[in-house]
Amino acid sequence: MSEDDAVRATNDDAASCKRAAVQLGYWKDPYINYFMRASERKAPEINRGFYVRVRGVHSLLKQFLEITKCQGQIVNLGAGFDTTYWNLKDENLAPKSFIEVDFQGITAQKMYYIQHRKHLLDKLTADQVDVQISSTDLHAGQYHIVAADLRNVGELKKKLGECGVDFNLPTCFLTECVLVYMPPEASEALLRWIPEHFKSAFFVNYEQVNMGDRFGKVMIDNLRARGCGLPGVQYCQNLESQKQRFLSTGWTSADAINMVDVYRSLPQSDVQSFNPPPILVDLGIELFSHYCMVWACCRPPLGLDLVIYKDAPLVTDKKVKHELPL
Amino acid sequence: MSDMSNLDRQIENLRRCEIIKESEVKALCAKVREILVEESNVQRVDSPVTVCGDIHGQFYDLRELFKVGGDVPDTNYLFLGDFVDRGFYSVETFLLMLALKVRYPDRITLIRGNHESRQITQVYGFYDECLRKYGSITVWRYCIEVFDYLSLSAIIDGKIFCVHGGLSPSIQTLDQIRGIDRKQEVPHDGPMCDLLWSDPEETQGWGVSPRGAGYLFGSDVVQQFNTSNDISLICRAHQLVMEGYKWHFNETVLTVWCGNVAAIFELDEHLKQDFKIFEAAPQEQRGIPSKKPQANYFL
Repeated sequence: MSEDDAVRATNDDAASCKRAAVQLGYWKDPYINYFMRASERKAPEINRGFYVRVRGVHSLLKQFLEITKCQGQIVNLGAGFDTTYWNLKDENLAPKSFIEVDFQGITAQKMYYIQHRKHLLDKLTADQVDVQISSTDLHAGQYHIVAADLRNVGELKKKLGECGVDFNLPTCFLTECVLVYMPPEASEALLRWIPEHFKSAFFVNYEQVNMGDRFGKVMIDNLRARGCGLPGVQYCQNLESQKQRFLSTGWTSADAINMVDVYRSLPQSDVQSFNPPPILVDLGIELFSHYCMVWACCRPPLGLDLVIYKDAPLVTDKKVKHELPL
Repeated sequence: MSDMSNLDRQIENLRRCEIIKESEVKALCAKVREILVEESNVQRVDSPVTVCGDIHGQFYDLRELFKVGGDVPDTNYLFLGDFVDRGFYSVETFLLMLALKVRYPDRITLIRGNHESRQITQVYGFYDECLRKYGSITVWRYCIEVFDYLSLSAIIDGKIFCVHGGLSPSIQTLDQIRGIDRKQEVPHDGPMCDLLWSDPEETQGWGVSPRGAGYLFGSDVVQQFNTSNDISLICRAHQLVMEGYKWHFNETVLTVWCGNVAAIFELDEHLKQDFKIFEAAPQEQRGIPSKKPQANYFL
């Protein structure tokens, strides 16, 4: 398996973990099951970690959508089987344009599922939009999937152009465990390109942090054993290095939060609804403390430069986040 | 066939990482319960003995451990709990230990870890593994009954106190441990929970544990406990230590762990200490199932 294949495989892993957590009632996502079959139960800290990740990213996206009154664009880089667009549509929060970019093997797979799952397709064609599909790209009104290698900014630019991206609209870029798989020069070129071309941009990055300690080193070894190198790990030393990568590539402000603090910001009522209770879950905190969210701005619209992390609940319809089978 | 040769055959099967029949598990668990029920909450162990930390279903690491430390009954072993969960072979690992316990009751001592629990095994893999390998949860039920009989701690030559997690603010003396009614699921709090969940911390007194169960205990707590019980060392497991073992508080507490690098702690008849460090069994010897292991990270 090549290194790129191993990186592609991380999408299956993330989607399967999300599906498992959704199944247990951590949050509601009626679409994830169309992309991923049910799999074995995951450890509670993995379920909870994805809950915190999805909730954290959702909270930041929601702030962007509120401030821009849904008149901006969202570009999810390395989106995989992400279902945010469908869920935002249900909440009436979809932005003017929602673009997903990933390796072509993944976009082709995602499009196959969309074409063969009525519930997914219906949402895209609801407004009588014309759906254009090639073997790797999909354009359906405000929603687009395009194949591009993020290490090639020229290719990305061309593909965004095909989606009709508007360089004058406030645009939020999102990466979840993506930049760390890119060589530093490639991720720097990508990050530099955005403020150079977009009039007003926001960036949300979820990935590893505190990777210099023993736990981090073991994580690097374990991922390497799965074929996944982390060439961008130098930016994952601490929250400061995560912010600095943006400040040194033309972004005007950057802030970051450790996922342990996102976990701790969950309302007590929420944490108490976990079953098994946190008391029975070990190792979670150390794992969470090796992930963070960073957000950065460049010429932000009014309000966007003041974003501080504000927890926003996810849609859920089960009271208990239930993991015990008996 | 006699009971003993039956048992020897089961041990041979399990040593090859092959499961035994459900009916054999039932009989084995019944026998091991008869042995365990006689053991004290602070089980006496004589040196020389080799002390080992969490195995967590890593059968091939256990096999490596026996290779490095010597086989049962040639070597006298004390295992500090957490036999099951996380690894692929919790069933084979735990049943092998039980079979060895029945065959050589005085050469292997097993105490309870926080994973020897109904609730924990349902979320960390042992329950699913039993269901997968036997098609029903009957074997899991036999095993959890055994969990309740496992001793809570051990004392080597009256000097070295061994426990899975650590100390409890409700316990000052070994006699207080002896007074616990242990035949139950691990409670969410109280002395029995603390023994299986607590961790040492570079501090004084007691602290709140980030695990949500048990406590953090400081050096002064250890000093007081060791003095009042006339012991020289607390030996425990429960926490991953990258180097295989770790000293705390001026060598009054020791953590041993079998992880990426594993350590076993050997004590001779004069309680002279030695560590054997070994690497986890090489990948090609593990016979990893074709299925990829569970993600331990967020990818």
